[in-house]
Amino acid sequence: MKWLRLPLWLLVPAMLLPYYWMVAGAFKTVAELLRQPPTLVPQAPTSRNFFNPDWVGTTADPDKLAGILQVQVDGHGFLRFYANSLLVTVVVTVVSLLAASLVAFVLTKKPFPGSRWLFRALLVSMMLPWEVTIVPNFVTVAQLGWINTYAALLVPGLAKAFVVFYFRQAMLSVPDELISAATLDGAGTLRIWWSVVLPMLRPALAAIAIPVAVGEWNNFLWPLLVVNDAATLTLPLQLGKMAGDLSFNPQSAAVLMAGSLLASLPAVVLFLVFQKQFVAGLQAGATKG
Amino acid sequence: MIWRRHGRDMLLVTPFFVLFGLFGVWPVLRSAWLSFTDYHATDEPNWIGLRNYAELFADERFWTALANTATYMASVSVIAVLLGLLLALSFGSNSRPHQAVRVAFFLPAVAGGVGAISAWKWLANSEAYGLFNSIRAAIGLEPARFLGDPQWTMPVLVLVGVWSVLGYNLVIFVAGLRAIPEELYQAARLDGASRWQQLLHITLPNLRPTLVYVSVTGMIASFQVFYEPYLLYGAVETLGGPLDSALMLVTYLFDRGFRQLDLGLASAAAWVLTTLLFGLTWLNLKLVGRER
Repeated sequence: MKWLRLPLWLLVPAMLLPYYWMVAGAFKTVAELLRQPPTLVPQAPTSRNFFNPDWVGTTADPDKLAGILQVQVDGHGFLRFYANSLLVTVVVTVVSLLAASLVAFVLTKKPFPGSRWLFRALLVSMMLPWEVTIVPNFVTVAQLGWINTYAALLVPGLAKAFVVFYFRQAMLSVPDELISAATLDGAGTLRIWWSVVLPMLRPALAAIAIPVAVGEWNNFLWPLLVVNDAATLTLPLQLGKMAGDLSFNPQSAAVLMAGSLLASLPAVVLFLVFQKQFVAGLQAGATKG
Repeated sequence: MIWRRHGRDMLLVTPFFVLFGLFGVWPVLRSAWLSFTDYHATDEPNWIGLRNYAELFADERFWTALANTATYMASVSVIAVLLGLLLALSFGSNSRPHQAVRVAFFLPAVAGGVGAISAWKWLANSEAYGLFNSIRAAIGLEPARFLGDPQWTMPVLVLVGVWSVLGYNLVIFVAGLRAIPEELYQAARLDGASRWQQLLHITLPNLRPTLVYVSVTGMIASFQVFYEPYLLYGAVETLGGPLDSALMLVTYLFDRGFRQLDLGLASAAAWVLTTLLFGLTWLNLKLVGRER
């Protein structure tokens, strides 16, 4: 099937094209963005789309537009949105993984009457699409007075059923003898989880952390519903606003490409560093699921 | 007795299950109830029976959304499964170039999101300086309004959809292919089986569970597509793009529920969507997942 491979190779540059065009656009000057045919490599690379030293506030002059780092929404800038996204991603990933691993550990290794029913409830909730819960969850968050707060972005994402299931599989590799030995030594459940189970689950934690983190980093619909105040705006929301702008002119597109580049960077770096764990996590889900 | 033996362990999992109950179980029951009410976010909900469902099925936009979603789902699933399989068969080895190729294909699964869709929007720009239109100009075609002409909506959405899911399918297929015991191929080669015969009689039958998994998860995901059409086509007033050509089921739910605050009707739409998803999964398992 060697002959088949040739056209498939051509798909590789096609896959990378949007990223390439994003990077190229982020470093082009306005004059160059309008050139036809477009230049494939920025002829006079500029950092103005990130930070424009000539920025003067609102103006029609395309040379004096704000760079992405200077974009302000009600007194909050791009770095604030970046920090918000980072905060949500880190907190939700760390807390949801720890909570789910503890729950999976207790339910599989320290079962109590009714724990099987709890598993079943988790399973049923995993089978239902998120659309079913979104309206009531929005109402709940609104009634709690959480609109435009970090709580709205954080709390509903902390109890993740699918992560519990993922850890249930991983828990099979933790020998029961080890748990009973630790129990005989007088260690409590919490202590065994922390010092025996978690270290053994390290590869599993790494594997599931990445898709969870990427999902939070890119999360769009839920923040769109519960946040519209600049102080709690996340990165995808701000980029979405800029992309949704009908006047999609070259100047604003270039600034958007600069922002998109900065937003994509952490995910790409994370992926390139943790490739193996990432793929392992996906494949574990596929073969056992 | 139960309390003395298990009380502490039960306390440990309580915070998780309180949150899970509040944001995972309670909303399911509540949305089922709301779907039979006239809830509009401000007044108390009143029971109105099946009227939301009747209104939904009488709404032309709902059917437009359903048709668009079905077209999108079918196109993306078929193309991404076939192409993903082809790629896995071609680039499945552990050699450096093949690994690099897989990374390139997988990138959108990680660094997708709003940033990447913005890049697509910039590529498909309707102006003459957009890259797609520059390519058209280079081969002597007039500029096309990729984001403004309803004819182009589905091709653009399917292209972006396949682009974002292809690498995921590829990686899963590679894992499935590796799980097939090498001895089967050795035996077949001893019997003089050609590569095509090996593909037809060993690879594909053994790959069936993976095929089912990839197509079911792929169909479920593409049925719930939201932010790609929303970002590419959802201008301020008309979330559905030109002539509602980019209106998907979730977009419709979002529009009715969170812009018009028809929360009862949006809940009904969510349950219709759930029913369709279950039907789809069942059909898929029946057709593809049949026992050999």
